[in-house]
Amino acid sequence: MSRTTVVTLLACALLMTGYCGTALADGRVVDKVYHPYVQPYEQEFEYRYVYQKQSEHQNDNDMAQKLGYGRAIADRLALELYVMAERRSPDDYHISGYELEMRWMLTEQGQYSADWGMLFELERVNHLGNFEFTSGLLMEKEFGPTSLTLNALAVYEWGNNIENELEGEFRLQYRYRYLPQLQPAFEFYAGENYKGAGPSLMGVQKFEQMKMLKWELAVIFAIDAATVNNTLRFALEYEF
Amino acid sequence: MGLSADDMPVFRLTLKDHLFSPSTLQVPAGKKVKIIIHNQDPNPEEFESFSMNREKVILGNSTGVVFVGPLLPGTYPFSGEYNPDSAKGQLIALPKEQWPAGGDDAD
Repeated sequence: MSRTTVVTLLACALLMTGYCGTALADGRVVDKVYHPYVQPYEQEFEYRYVYQKQSEHQNDNDMAQKLGYGRAIADRLALELYVMAERRSPDDYHISGYELEMRWMLTEQGQYSADWGMLFELERVNHLGNFEFTSGLLMEKEFGPTSLTLNALAVYEWGNNIENELEGEFRLQYRYRYLPQLQPAFEFYAGENYKGAGPSLMGVQKFEQMKMLKWELAVIFAIDAATVNNTLRFALEYEF
Repeated sequence: MGLSADDMPVFRLTLKDHLFSPSTLQVPAGKKVKIIIHNQDPNPEEFESFSMNREKVILGNSTGVVFVGPLLPGTYPFSGEYNPDSAKGQLIALPKEQWPAGGDDAD
């Protein structure tokens, strides 16, 4: 094993232990696991859906949706703007906020023992006057036909209705690149009062002239959560 | 084949009239290699290979770099996503006992 590989694995281990140990996020922890790559000319529409089932509160299940448009603004930099909607009880579905996201590819894919990127997100909660700024490291490493992706994120929240606080989130995805259209994976999430893990399935169907449809589906089971038992995560991206 | 500053084998591919040249590139298995792709067409092209897990957009009349491997011995197809019918090729990773076995001088 090369020295750079050892350093990378140690860094990953530190990120995992550091963030898992102090996992503190208030929001939904289960979300997309980001890859550290950006392509020039990349342009996409994206839809995300999350449903969280609480077995002891049948009328208090949480559903959230995100609809976004994004594009690369430089060779290694991409911006995406989202509108978010959610409901907690069956009759309170509403537009909940907006989010601006920036992904920055730091290293060329395959150049070093692992690939690195950064994520920055600014989220405004619509009617409460609350904000959330997320920044963090994205890492991916190949092991033969499999890929390990790690996201270590720091989240700062402030606003009228919440206490200002700095939180941490950690996301992991280990994916087997079986076929372009079919790539089974395992995902793990850690955040405030939440640790969850479960299987996922994803793939990409390419069409002519660089058009493609990417999809992801995951079922995450809480490991030690206080309130949320199971989470269904679904995402659809149309790249063109 | 040449060597980069960090002793990484370097190979070159040219894309012209939506065709890769050479269309078959031999590289050593078990080693990370650097492939410099010259896109001599005026339009951008994406070097794509699922088996090598690589996607790289190379702008028109410019050069891009793709790092692949270390690869197991075998054949790895690649294509240009904008012109997949014509821009096709394969990379053959040769085991140590069959290497060196060709490749273009890079530097």
